[in-house]
Amino acid sequence: MTIMRIIIPRLVMLFFVVFGVAVITFIISHLIPGDPARMIAGDRASAETLMSVRRDLGLDRPVWDQFTIYVSNLLHGDLGTSLRTRRSVAGDIATFLPATMELGAISLILAIVIGIPLGVASAIYKDGPIDQVARTISVCGISMPVFWFALVLVLLFYAKLHILPGSGRIDMGIALPTRVTGFFLIDSLLEGRMDAFWSSVRHLILPSFVLAFANLGVITRQIRASMLDVLEEDYIRTARASGLRRRVIIFNHALRNALIPSITLLGLALGDLLYGAVLTETVFAWPGMGTYVVTSIQTLDFPAIMGFTVVASIGYVLINLVVDIAYMFADPQIREIG
Amino acid sequence: MVFAHWKKLGLALLVTSSLTQAAWAASDVLVLSRAEDAPTADPGVEISNSGYTFIYAAYEHLVAYKGATTEVVPELAESWTVDDTNTVWTFKLAQGHKFDDGTPVDAAAVKFSFDRAMKLKAGPSDAFPVLKEVQVVDPGTVKFILSSQFAPFLSTMAVSGAAIINPKVMEHEKDGDMAKAWLAEHTAGSGAYKITSWERNQSVVLDRNEHYSGPTPALKQIVVRTVGEISARRLQLVNGDADIIEQVPVDQAAALKSDASIVVESNPSLYVNYVYMNNKRPPLDDPRVRQAISYAVDYKGIVDGIMQGQAEQMRGAVPDGMWGHDPQGFQYSYDVEKAKALLKEAGKSDIHLTYTFSQADTAWEPVGLALQANLADIGIKLDLQAVADTTKREMAASGNYDLAPGAWTPDFADPYMFMNYWFDPDRMGGPGNRAFYNNPKVADLVREAASIIDQPKREQLYLEAQKLSTQDAPYLYLMQKNDIFARRAVVKGYVYNPMLIQVYNFATMSKSE
Repeated sequence: MTIMRIIIPRLVMLFFVVFGVAVITFIISHLIPGDPARMIAGDRASAETLMSVRRDLGLDRPVWDQFTIYVSNLLHGDLGTSLRTRRSVAGDIATFLPATMELGAISLILAIVIGIPLGVASAIYKDGPIDQVARTISVCGISMPVFWFALVLVLLFYAKLHILPGSGRIDMGIALPTRVTGFFLIDSLLEGRMDAFWSSVRHLILPSFVLAFANLGVITRQIRASMLDVLEEDYIRTARASGLRRRVIIFNHALRNALIPSITLLGLALGDLLYGAVLTETVFAWPGMGTYVVTSIQTLDFPAIMGFTVVASIGYVLINLVVDIAYMFADPQIREIG
Repeated sequence: MVFAHWKKLGLALLVTSSLTQAAWAASDVLVLSRAEDAPTADPGVEISNSGYTFIYAAYEHLVAYKGATTEVVPELAESWTVDDTNTVWTFKLAQGHKFDDGTPVDAAAVKFSFDRAMKLKAGPSDAFPVLKEVQVVDPGTVKFILSSQFAPFLSTMAVSGAAIINPKVMEHEKDGDMAKAWLAEHTAGSGAYKITSWERNQSVVLDRNEHYSGPTPALKQIVVRTVGEISARRLQLVNGDADIIEQVPVDQAAALKSDASIVVESNPSLYVNYVYMNNKRPPLDDPRVRQAISYAVDYKGIVDGIMQGQAEQMRGAVPDGMWGHDPQGFQYSYDVEKAKALLKEAGKSDIHLTYTFSQADTAWEPVGLALQANLADIGIKLDLQAVADTTKREMAASGNYDLAPGAWTPDFADPYMFMNYWFDPDRMGGPGNRAFYNNPKVADLVREAASIIDQPKREQLYLEAQKLSTQDAPYLYLMQKNDIFARRAVVKGYVYNPMLIQVYNFATMSKSE
């Protein structure tokens, strides 16, 4: 039952967070000087045309009415219609979110799969050559500008070596896999389309590596630090003294405890992925949320901006929830107290 | 050694798949890379050039711009007449034009298209301010009835919004939207191509319209890809993955010129960069102050330094390349002494102004810095205020600024697009007269020029109005920019038309490897 005790208050909180975010975004987007009708009708539109566009978009109604309509639609799961693309915002998000999530998921996996062993090795062979290399990688990862790094990789692997594609999600000559999850890797496998699968893999390599790299640095550093702390603990010394094998000590005893602080970090890393995705998506022409949000902001596309913010806030709350639950499983003490 | 095995397999995969990718760029497929996805391809709502690319590829109009000129010639219309009152235009439709489903283009389709645009009342309808009614006379004849004389009428029949749409699109109507949702990403025209797929923020694919009445185009397919970063687009072009790339900044254009397989297209456009001076606000309400500012600017420095020569200084409001342009018209020159004298004569000192700009045009910030330095020489302190583009537009429209840069490009090929928008006091603010300029004499001249049909007479009136308005210096006339894009040299047959920015004559273009 303890899990429910964590989940239920969070779900209640989720409701308030989303409502709060919706209110704040609504207020901000209506405070910014600028007229979305003018963006749509054209700068030099006559007053009459402007009025007609405003009426069409419901922008002629009092702000309070616009807000209540927005909230009531939101409660029905309707995020409104994008002013720019004239499509439903929910539909737009459904189109672009999977692309960003696929990229984010692969980068997170990469960051974990490379970052954790690197951090562990770095701690075990402290001050040795492996540690030096790992520390260099992690400093580079943390300090290298995403945008610049992405361009360098494109230049090397796409422009010079011609071995990896530099943009998009799939080769142009290949038909898109039938949409089930929106993840090209999964959808192409479901359909048994190996050409689409390999093409998607190749397209994912550079952007996911770029995105993983920054988080990799943070994870390596964190794991190294907590491993070093844990290895100094009494129980490890006891374990060592009792003649347990080194591998068992490191993986069963030390790593398990060292991972706990990293869970929060992974939660934060997920947030970073969204932010990093905006830059990465721009360089790699990745058709995801990043590009969509930036263009929406530039055109004051209120429904799109608000729709994205609401979805993102739900995402953040859910990530936090998962982090808390993961904590419980990683540390039995928390479970018992909870 | 399991690992070595995997490594080999991985390498093999990388190599084979990179080979298959290179083989794809077929000679009858043209790939165009640009910075952003078009909002829609609906002639009734779209006002962006990135949308016009698709509209002009998929739809025909009653008339079209001839080759590289701003002159209009028949397209769907075979001939036309206008009555004595200049308010009733009758068009005879040419035979043989068919929509992409095989239905012949008839008068009912023309009426439908204009009725739809006028009912939607979105941006494009602004090009037809006096259109009262469209009447079907018989399937091959259609009549336009205007509420008053409107000289640029024929020219407006070539704008994107005047595209003729297949009335059958109404089968896709949802909740009374006049098929707006469907037409946003589909086309239903009689042009050479039709949209066959639109993957948002990825690519739009156009295939040949099998029922097109013209000669079969050499290009079987056009792919328009969205690639946000200019360096990524440039690499695609160099690698042969893209045939044309758009939005090439001047410095990148210079770098691309050294590659023999690439042609940088840099053509004089009708796109101007100018600066609104708020004529309502002191001290800018004094023409001498505005003239002083106009004399204080180092135009050549801006053209050569910021634009690297890819522009020319404006001469009057109507740009070079459009009828009504005055090649002998007065042009302000860089003359600091004259500027100082004018300020002294106006009795103004300690002037402090703000230049409100956004990043919508990459030239605006460096132009602001140049103006700041130039105006400092005559004792005017200029603050730069950077705001979001929507905010800048709103501030300019409501007159809440001192100086603000603007860009202007005509919708149809008539000096009306400049003269009547910029100088008519009825269009103050957003609609065009963003300097809030009011000279009754100039207003009379431009209004008269818009209401008569006789072109030589109109030209004379516009020249007179330009002469007077340039003296008043309501705007700071900076430069007429070149339209720059880069293509691979194998792309042949492109014809540049200054009226059609980001629009390509795909039907008569080809690729020769």
